[in-house]
Amino acid sequence: MSSMTPIAIELQDVLWSVHGRTVLEIGALKVNSGERIALVGPNGAGKSTLLRLLAGAIAPTHGSLSVLERSPSRSLGGRERRVWRREVGQVFQGLHLVSRLSALDNVRIGALGRLSGWRTWLRLYPHEITKQACEALQGVGLLGHKDTRADLLSGGERQKVAIARLLLQQPRLILADEPTAALDPAAAAEVCRMLVQAASGATLLTVVHNTSLLPLIADRVIGLRQGRVAFDLPVSDVDDRALLALYQADCSRPSDQFQVTLPARSETLTQETT
Amino acid sequence: MSNGQPGKYFLRGRVGFLLLTLVYVVLIAVCLFSLIHDGDLSIGRNPWANLLKTASEFSYPSFLDVWFGDTALEYRSDDGRVLRVENRREVELDYLAGLARATWTTITIATLGSLLGALLALPLAILTARNLSAPKPLAWMAKGVLDVMRSIHTLVFGLVLVGIVGLGPTAGILAIGLHSLGTYGKLFAESIETLDMQAVHAVQSVGAGPIQVFFNAIWPAVLPQFVSSHLYIWEFNIRDSTILGMIGAGGLGLLITEATSLFQWGRLATVLLVVIVLVTSFDALSRRIRRSLT
Repeated sequence: MSSMTPIAIELQDVLWSVHGRTVLEIGALKVNSGERIALVGPNGAGKSTLLRLLAGAIAPTHGSLSVLERSPSRSLGGRERRVWRREVGQVFQGLHLVSRLSALDNVRIGALGRLSGWRTWLRLYPHEITKQACEALQGVGLLGHKDTRADLLSGGERQKVAIARLLLQQPRLILADEPTAALDPAAAAEVCRMLVQAASGATLLTVVHNTSLLPLIADRVIGLRQGRVAFDLPVSDVDDRALLALYQADCSRPSDQFQVTLPARSETLTQETT
Repeated sequence: MSNGQPGKYFLRGRVGFLLLTLVYVVLIAVCLFSLIHDGDLSIGRNPWANLLKTASEFSYPSFLDVWFGDTALEYRSDDGRVLRVENRREVELDYLAGLARATWTTITIATLGSLLGALLALPLAILTARNLSAPKPLAWMAKGVLDVMRSIHTLVFGLVLVGIVGLGPTAGILAIGLHSLGTYGKLFAESIETLDMQAVHAVQSVGAGPIQVFFNAIWPAVLPQFVSSHLYIWEFNIRDSTILGMIGAGGLGLLITEATSLFQWGRLATVLLVVIVLVTSFDALSRRIRRSLT
């Protein structure tokens, strides 16, 4: 990569701790514009914490953090924060659509960052935006459902609507937190393909649990374990052994705890029955 | 473990329940004793005759006179002179016209009073809803206002307001509005608290401004619940406003007081029939609309 490539994300000695417990500690991490990154790792490894830091939902305890040339902390002023948020698209694992609005209205919400005025309060959008929204829905194969209320769509369809909303938002960076968590394998692969398509050119950072989706969604894989970077490899170099090591290394600790608690439970049992 | 623990809980629960029952029984006994001790527990000198008389007059509602009444009822003095001749059909027809006007006044009072209460309650509900985290002192003040309003009865508000704005429906509208504002505020705040915050965050995350977030994420989610609460309390207020006239705040209540103080049970029966029809039909209508709102 040439030095001219703008850097989308840069972390330097970032530490985030809660109640004195360190959840995430990253020495240095750089993501260039247009890269597609997958974050993998067991539960509690700090993947979602990293995403929340990048989205500005939480601020690092120590260290410096730059996302799209800005520090995404709460210190950003209202207007500045809005502009920055528009550039950072988020896809959530849950059902983050407005359930009583139609699919079309949910998609058009994506354009709110660049629209203003009282018309948007009444959900009156310029014709151009509506056209774009219909095209986006067509792209995810849901144009036929444009007037269906979001809470009547299936889980996969809702995630596709969220991706169509992303298309209207036109962000430079997309943060996706387990976008396929609640989907069946076929739908998961489809949603991944659409997400990559929607990203076209933008930086894409996805938290993935299903490792078979990695080749679909990333060209670089970052493995997190116990809040630290365990590996940072091109997707072609990530093999089963690396993944297995990543997921197993953390399994030993909870099982230790189980062995402590189990006898304690059986003790109370014997006390009660005698 | 599964044998011992629930048994203990059950025992504790049973003793607790027995104690509670005992307290309740003692309370009932004390209430009865104090009534009897003061000699207030009586049912009058000839209750059965009175009951029979009232019931028989009730069973002939006055509006039947419009068709079956005497066209020339003569009022005579003791020596047999005819004082006045009255066409019962015309008199009762006039009464029905007055009743219709009063019914309309009652509906007006309930409708405008409910709207007033809802509008006044909205800002207070936004302040008290816990998930919107308004400044603490403001939230406490708003909650205080709502609690005070809810605990003062519509009739008390009515009595005070009649003294301020004078007799008539205006006092009724204000009384209904002020009392139901407390209930509105509570229900509205609860709807806001059940809001899907994830959707709100999603709309914020595209860079939407606060007002855009309100109209695109909050408003569509709470509006149906607001409409539902509004209909429900409106329904209540129809009932409440039928007695407001008793204290001079306009509507059917005035006719009820009139009929009872003149012991015209037939007319009271007519008025009550109207009240029953009004309240039940509005209940059914509101329930149907509320069910279709989800």
